[in-house]
Amino acid sequence: MTRNLQTSAPAASAAVRSFEAQWRTRAADSLSPVREQAMMRFLKLGLPTVQDETWRYTNLRSLAGQSFSDAPRKTRGDIEPHASLSLLNANERAATLLMVNGHPLLPASDTTINGIEVNTIREFSRLEPKLMRRYLEPLSDTDQQRFTLLNTALFVDGLYLKVTTEVATPLVILHVSTGDGLDTVAYPRVIIEAAPHSKATIIEHFVAQGEHTPLNNSNTLIALKEDSQLEHYRVYATGAGATHLDSLDIRQEQGSRCKQFTIVLGGGVVRAGLEAHLGQPGATLDSYSLLVGHRDRHVDCVNTVTHGARDTHSNQTARAIASDASRVIFNSKVIVNAGAVHAESRQSSRGLLLSPSAEIDMRPQLEIHADEVKCAHGATVGRLDPDMLFYMLSRGLDRDTAQSLLVYAFLADVLTDMSVHSARASIENALISQLPDSQVLRNFR
Amino acid sequence: MLLQIADLHARVAGKDILKGVNLEVRAGEVHAIMGPNGSGKSTLAQVLAGREDYEVTGGSVTFEGRDLLTLPAEERARAGLFLGFQYPVEIPGVNNVYLLKAALNAKRKAAGEPEVDAYEFLALIRQKMKFMQMSESFLTRGVNEGFSGGEKKRNEVLQMLVLEPKLAILDETDSGLDIDALKVVSAGVNSLRDPARAVVLVTHYQRLLDYIVPDRVHVLSGGRILKSGDKSLALELEAHGYDGVLGAQVA
Repeated sequence: MTRNLQTSAPAASAAVRSFEAQWRTRAADSLSPVREQAMMRFLKLGLPTVQDETWRYTNLRSLAGQSFSDAPRKTRGDIEPHASLSLLNANERAATLLMVNGHPLLPASDTTINGIEVNTIREFSRLEPKLMRRYLEPLSDTDQQRFTLLNTALFVDGLYLKVTTEVATPLVILHVSTGDGLDTVAYPRVIIEAAPHSKATIIEHFVAQGEHTPLNNSNTLIALKEDSQLEHYRVYATGAGATHLDSLDIRQEQGSRCKQFTIVLGGGVVRAGLEAHLGQPGATLDSYSLLVGHRDRHVDCVNTVTHGARDTHSNQTARAIASDASRVIFNSKVIVNAGAVHAESRQSSRGLLLSPSAEIDMRPQLEIHADEVKCAHGATVGRLDPDMLFYMLSRGLDRDTAQSLLVYAFLADVLTDMSVHSARASIENALISQLPDSQVLRNFR
Repeated sequence: MLLQIADLHARVAGKDILKGVNLEVRAGEVHAIMGPNGSGKSTLAQVLAGREDYEVTGGSVTFEGRDLLTLPAEERARAGLFLGFQYPVEIPGVNNVYLLKAALNAKRKAAGEPEVDAYEFLALIRQKMKFMQMSESFLTRGVNEGFSGGEKKRNEVLQMLVLEPKLAILDETDSGLDIDALKVVSAGVNSLRDPARAVVLVTHYQRLLDYIVPDRVHVLSGGRILKSGDKSLALELEAHGYDGVLGAQVA
């Protein structure tokens, strides 16, 4: 097929022109029609600006001025063995699948790991082109989808996982970014399908090997079939220079349950989108966001949960802390479609400011088009409770220790709901290292 | 002299509350401070413990000869001062026992002692909890989280027993207690009585003083101690009320 597209408007930014240049280098594959459609739509939309509703807080102007080229492919030998930086301790680790700069590096032989079928998207799309195209079609036309469109157009390969049974041990996908230059870009793509009545835990962990890591334009799709259950983590633990434009799409069928943790402990600019469609009766989503603003990190989390059928349930718990000059935004919108009677949704968003120059914005929103629904939301942003602090000081605790304990307690609502204990312990450790007086705090646990 | 308060003035939210408090407490003594609502009893307790938003506008407080007012709250605690809160705050997510262990270790560190051994600590706390008739579930709960009013007060006394302060200021530790709990709490306080320590009880009711017999009773009213006496003063207050005892001084 031809690689000639209607090119972008003359005013296109350097970044967009470089994405187009990448597009021209891509070989045709079985996904080309859907990719081409995606690229056209991306070019039509262009990069978001602060005029776009969900991009109000994240200005991509400096990104727009850069040109990006593909981050290099790597071999296993290029990756430090303990780049595993794994969240799991040895006895709990089922398997770690490696994605380096967006390219899957799978062991040649294994195609099934403890009840999870593992394949590359390329390979799977040769087997099931129709199904794959359906998975790659974007859910909606909103401005949040732009970077998913870009990813769809430009990802070279990705991971396709199918959970077929009840899997006890968690599976880790380790996304490694290598320090090959801030002017490179990676397009990690993961598709997870949970077959009817299956159950699994999958942890996506974004880490860096080296400093100047690529722009990460990643997307994960989770498709939950009837009565399946998935606990999914995405943990950002890259360096301060890293930029993530990540999106997660969750599509849920009848009676399915998804427990999702979005944990930001790293990165310089992290844009984490989540779009969930509870498309059939009885689908339940529990979403947790643990957002840590540290130094000058910028975290922009945008959740959109659509109740598309009756008796669907969603719970969103967001806890944000911001220290130094960091900024954390948590934007969550719940849409209850007409006909989604007896839908129930709850949003609890709390922010804790730890420095006068930090900023937190919490914006829960509701859009209800059905009757007989129960929707609740609450959002607060504050500082440490002076009564709690005084109580602890009056017992002789150091101010730093008292503050750290209170911060830690503030995040407990999210931490205690994590079922994978070793992941929780690792996350706590990483978290604590970003709090004042971390050593003392470690002694508490 | 363990504690010496001279002409203490303090202000809360722009309002003068303490208007010249004088009080001397010797080691080994138990003092009761009584007084009508709004007389400044709790303010006095909080000021002594080092609450920052309570502004001291005059006077002095010395504790074992040191100027207490220049010390931050945590250092006062490590020096041996303990405040039992009238309304102990709930801190969900911070384990009750962790807090206590941290408190004890902070004090030991300040005294140049090694940290308490985890096993010994658990044994100690179990023993004290048994004495305070508290269930083991308190070991795992958040600080005061979901505790009833009475449980919170027991927890305050438990903390006091573990920390063994030189001076305990108990702010209405008796309020909200039924008679059984009152006996337990009183036994806790009495167990701490020794020639090297002192207790200041802030209370509304004479009832507590049947169980913890004070050496001195003071009536605080309008931000000043207007009358002091021995334990019979409490009985007098019970019989005649503050107006009856203080007469024209209140007005």
